[in-house]
Amino acid sequence: MTEDRAFEELQKELEDIVARLERGDVAVDDAIALFRRGEELYKTCVERLQGAELQIEELAPPPTES
Amino acid sequence: MAKVEPILYGDRKVFTVSSFNHGIASYLGRLPAVWVEGEVTELRRNEAWATVFLTLKDPKTGATLKATIGRRTFDRLELALEEGETVHVSGRAELYELKGELGLRATTVERIGLGGHLLALERLKRQLAAEGLFAPARKRSLPRLPRAVGILTGADAAARGDLVATIGARFPAAKVVICEARVQGKGAPAAIVAALAALAAHPEVDVVVLARGGGSFEDLLPFSDEAVVRAVAATSVPVVSAVGHEQDTPLCDLAADARAATPTAAGALVVPDLSELSTALESSRRRLALAVRNALERDAERVERLGERLRAAPRLLLERRRSGLDHTGARLQTLSPLATLDRGYAVVRAGAVALRDASTVSLGDRLEIELASGALGARVEDVRA
Repeated sequence: MTEDRAFEELQKELEDIVARLERGDVAVDDAIALFRRGEELYKTCVERLQGAELQIEELAPPPTES
Repeated sequence: MAKVEPILYGDRKVFTVSSFNHGIASYLGRLPAVWVEGEVTELRRNEAWATVFLTLKDPKTGATLKATIGRRTFDRLELALEEGETVHVSGRAELYELKGELGLRATTVERIGLGGHLLALERLKRQLAAEGLFAPARKRSLPRLPRAVGILTGADAAARGDLVATIGARFPAAKVVICEARVQGKGAPAAIVAALAALAAHPEVDVVVLARGGGSFEDLLPFSDEAVVRAVAATSVPVVSAVGHEQDTPLCDLAADARAATPTAAGALVVPDLSELSTALESSRRRLALAVRNALERDAERVERLGERLRAAPRLLLERRRSGLDHTGARLQTLSPLATLDRGYAVVRAGAVALRDASTVSLGDRLEIELASGALGARVEDVRA
């Protein structure tokens, strides 16, 4: 499910996790789970950034009347 | 031409088609000459004909009107008119009696000039603004990193090239989806609207850039076309308008979610700079590790403090008890008569009873006097009651 989401959503979630941990109002078990999730998000984001070359797709102009 | 004379069928007056048409035609003929604005959708001129046939269309509603003008009059205007152009036609309403068709008999045709275009544009701008189409509240923010950037461009190599180059340089992993559409002349508005819809419907396109280099006022007019402006505002993903040069403000600029002065600037708006993004991500990761370490350390400290308090608890309890005992001892001390004796007082007894009243003893009685330290035996020598 992570893969389908837009990069910015993933990055936002990562930032939210960091902010929550920095506030420090999470239980230990939650903190560890959040950290693991954060790491996963970080890796996904980095992978996205390191994707291939600029992809160019040509879309045929739709026909119009006249 | 048939006269407008009814045929009588008893009480009923009946007109023939010809007389009805003729009646309407002569009625219409009394209407004053007017100017009509419309888009030329059909223009038929033939050297062999005395009349030039035009079809005018209201681009907003699609309503059409047939117009005719004498070929010689038309030729003298030297308009070199093409289909798709907007014109002002002066003439009178006319009924073509043979077919019962309404038309406009024109005496002159004028291509709508720059002034006319400007006025029409100003009017449209006011109308759309009143509808709230340009309201800042409508503007959507652009995605930080779109899965794909839709690019709507004409066969304009420069604008397209600049945009693609900027996107590739800032963010090599980007994807662009390009739709080339006719962006000037007749049919351009419809082509732009269709291309916009096609790009927005692409599953990965999260933002669309309208990229059109500079051009004459007329060249850029399709980007101020009402249908195009409305389509820009209604597109399901945010739209960046990069049309014309800095000084041009086609109406689509006002309806778009963001405006860029050049294709290069548009590229910078739609994709982030890879190095900035990487820096932000690395910083997030550092903060993540630090935050989780801090959170765990805070918890460890809390546990440590609890342990200390736990270990200290029995000793605390004893100390509290002891201090309670000391307190009671002190209170006991203050109540003891011995403490009073310490300050120089003495207890005098006659037998077992402590004396309080001199009259209860007699001369010669033996008394016991208890001091803070030791005791004395004594006899009464006189009594002062």
